[in-house]
Amino acid sequence: MSTVQAAQEEAPQKTSSWLQRIWRNYMLRRVAAALFKIWIVITITFFIVRLMPTNPIDAYVNELMDQYGFSYEEAKDQAAALFNIDLDSSLWDQYVQYMVNLFHGDLGTSYRSKGTPVIKMIAKFLPWTLFSVGVSLLISFTLGILLGMIMAYRRESLLDHTLSALASIFSAIPNYLVGMMILVFLGVQWKIFPITKMRGSMSPGMRPAFTWAFVKDIFYHASLPILTYVLTTIGTWMLAMKSSTISTLGEDYITVAKARGLPERRIVTAYVGRNASLPLFTQLAISIGFIVGGSALIEFIFVYQGIGQLLLSSINTRDYPVMQGVFLVITISVILANFLADFVYGWLDPRIRI
Amino acid sequence: MESLRRTFRLLTYNKVGFIGLLGVIFFVLLAFVGPYFVPLDTKTKVDKIYEPPSKTFWLGTDSEGRDIFSQIVHGGKDVLIVAFLAGIISTTIAVVLGSLSALAGGGVDGLIMALADIVLTIPQFPLLAVLAGLVKFNNVTLLAVILGVLSWPALTRAIRAQVLSLREREFVEAARALDLGTKHIILKEILPNMMSYIAINLIFAMTAAIYAQVGLVFLGLVPFSGHNWGVMLSLAWTRGAIFFKDSLWYIMSPVAAIALFQLSLISFTRLLEEIFNPRLRTSV
Amino acid sequence: MAETTQTPYTLKVENLRVSYQAERGKVKAVRDVSFTLQTGETLAFIGESGCGKTTLGLSLIRLLPTTAAIEQGKIIYHHNGEDIDIVNLNEKQLRRFRWREFAMIFQGAQNAFNPVLRIWDQFWETARAHGETNKRRLRERVEETFRLVQLDPDRVLRAYPHQLSGGMRQRVLIALGLLLKPPLVLLDEPTTALDILTQRSVIDVLRDLKGQMSFSLILISHDLSLAAELADRVATMYAGTLVEIATVWDAYYHPLHPYTAGLIRAVPTLSGERQDLVSIPGSPPDLISPPSGCPFHPRCPYATDECRQKTPPLIEAENNHLVACWHWDEVAADGGARMKEQVEA
Repeated sequence: MSTVQAAQEEAPQKTSSWLQRIWRNYMLRRVAAALFKIWIVITITFFIVRLMPTNPIDAYVNELMDQYGFSYEEAKDQAAALFNIDLDSSLWDQYVQYMVNLFHGDLGTSYRSKGTPVIKMIAKFLPWTLFSVGVSLLISFTLGILLGMIMAYRRESLLDHTLSALASIFSAIPNYLVGMMILVFLGVQWKIFPITKMRGSMSPGMRPAFTWAFVKDIFYHASLPILTYVLTTIGTWMLAMKSSTISTLGEDYITVAKARGLPERRIVTAYVGRNASLPLFTQLAISIGFIVGGSALIEFIFVYQGIGQLLLSSINTRDYPVMQGVFLVITISVILANFLADFVYGWLDPRIRI
Repeated sequence: MESLRRTFRLLTYNKVGFIGLLGVIFFVLLAFVGPYFVPLDTKTKVDKIYEPPSKTFWLGTDSEGRDIFSQIVHGGKDVLIVAFLAGIISTTIAVVLGSLSALAGGGVDGLIMALADIVLTIPQFPLLAVLAGLVKFNNVTLLAVILGVLSWPALTRAIRAQVLSLREREFVEAARALDLGTKHIILKEILPNMMSYIAINLIFAMTAAIYAQVGLVFLGLVPFSGHNWGVMLSLAWTRGAIFFKDSLWYIMSPVAAIALFQLSLISFTRLLEEIFNPRLRTSV
Repeated sequence: MAETTQTPYTLKVENLRVSYQAERGKVKAVRDVSFTLQTGETLAFIGESGCGKTTLGLSLIRLLPTTAAIEQGKIIYHHNGEDIDIVNLNEKQLRRFRWREFAMIFQGAQNAFNPVLRIWDQFWETARAHGETNKRRLRERVEETFRLVQLDPDRVLRAYPHQLSGGMRQRVLIALGLLLKPPLVLLDEPTTALDILTQRSVIDVLRDLKGQMSFSLILISHDLSLAAELADRVATMYAGTLVEIATVWDAYYHPLHPYTAGLIRAVPTLSGERQDLVSIPGSPPDLISPPSGCPFHPRCPYATDECRQKTPPLIEAENNHLVACWHWDEVAADGGARMKEQVEA
């Protein structure tokens, strides 16, 4: 049976180490790309801060000189101290110093809240944004996938048309306007939500602890921002999943699965669901960037003390070190989140992993 | 007469899209022609604060008794101009860079794509907010330019993909064989085939620009004078209009105007998709 | 129906009619097809693309797309002395019937497997869906079946579908099909899209399997040589109707229907004298409005007015040789030579 032997010679991938090498290659590429992007963003931020015509350091120096009567030397020293840069050294040295500081987690000290390190301020506000944005993404993605599949299975039905219309409408309206509408209609006009009580990230007097009361409280306070994020992003997932499911349903292996007598539930989850949701992970990056980007506005509207609020307050008070630090943290978070999404996708799709 | 009828059939093929087109036309007329017919009400009327809509005040009055409807009419111009300008800038950059990237290939392509990737990753609104903190945006053009410069990456990818696929098509090869030059190839052969992409993405760039500028103005990061919708939002907000039952119209009028305009724009893209679908054109 | 019903049969199809709803109208894909599959035999269905073979196959396990429907007819499965009408099975019964009693192995195994599950998982879930609970027992069975199709169980079971070549996937699909030892198997174009060497190995495997396990096989193919190698009887389909059923020998050397004769003659031979290439002029008919009378008459050199007006029934012209043609005797007399004369320009 030489022909059969010959046919068997064209074996699958050879040994496991080769598989692992390809897997690591994909991940390595992703890691390298993420690190590179982070480095570029850090560098750009540095140069914006230093080189823009109205750059913050000069502005601060001028302010100190004009309003507080500092001499140029004094002002320069003060600015340098707060920004943690030696203004006398060359630009390159400042850059290196800046990078070194970053490695140590030193983002400088706030101008306005004297003596508070930027990193400490960020640590206070960041978790709330991560919490609200994270929960929203989770709900939006999973619910969107579920609804999208339902829409695909009940194509052209009234449910499908209604959901599609709602999805399109809510995705088109700017998310802060949706937030305002929630406040005005659900909060003030129809009094469904007690919005003044829901302000802030937690009730006054609450102390962070792993108690049920605390968890309930933070969810209570985050519910309106989460509702806004979810309403404005779920539409994209619904429509994307619907079209992905429709094309997956036309695949051969679905027909074969039915011919094999597999139960419908198994086919819907492991065959249709898993395969149809894979392409959506590549769009996760855009969604992450969008939600995080909009957090400044949403947190402002709902008076939620997240990183977006910190960014806004630092801009309004011209607190440059904080501004720079927050911007860096926001951007790096987005890059890391995208990387995570890539990672999950690579893990879920064996064609990439192996 | 026949071609007019055909055009009408083409436009109404997609009902949602057609309504979008009507919406866009409505707002454009409202914003640019409206001011000539509706004078801006600047008189403070203390006795008419937060009046509900009536025959004299179609959308009610604001916190100083001024007519809201006139403010809406006058408030659209800035928003639309900035949006359109930003869209044009963004689209132009995208077309140029996208085609360049696709036609030049190699290192240039890699560089442009890497640049696009980076700009795409940075969340747009925080970047704009920070820039607003560093640079004074006091005129419309500067804002539009910045918005346009920041939103080119998405379209560039699409343009590049399209040019890459068109590059291999016969009519481009024919043009090359006739030695008609790169500029000619881009302008006369490739561009006409991408008009649908470009038009649709122009609209999307406009919606993004509206989102950004209204957001910036609303937060007070951009010192806008005048009465555009973003300013209305900002004023209404700082006056606490969300908290009073009566001030509903004050806060919701600009919200509704912006939201409806965005919806119209996006619905309109559906219509554009169908119009530029060649199979459809021949069947109508 | 003049077929012998004394020999035990596994499948009996009576007057099956299947139609699709297309934009232009109703496509009559399978029109009054009747045949009996005897236990243990291999029955091959041959014909051009679009003649209805695959639709027929799909309707036997009721896996037609939603746009299609079985309009009338019976599909009777005979097992353990019982007759079961497939057309009237409910969902639950259908699921149990599929794969356990009747395995349909499709063409293009390229995309027959779930890309995100390992091969072993897909075997296990199939077995579990049909009541198997013992993993070890299943593993033994699978390894045994893999040996029959000449696959290495350790490598293949661990793999994901995309790691296997086309030929391997085809053989895995065959192994999966035989996993539950179904009495009835259908192979739809098992060797299309495979290279010649792989085709050879798959055919050999199929022949071995047929010998070792006893199942009744329906083979659908447009590849006449495949039918020649594996089939006991050959059924020719044209425009949704059965036009001839004969033993494989009779089909090739003594066809009674002009279309069958044309098909046989269209295949060039390696041995023998060089012949001019023949093909049947014309194209397959429109199944939304098929021709009147005999569907083949527009392309048939033997056609007469009777053919245009009256549809010939499937009759037993010679012993165990059925044909639907008014002039089968002329075809028998000249061996279908008139088809040869119609050489396409």
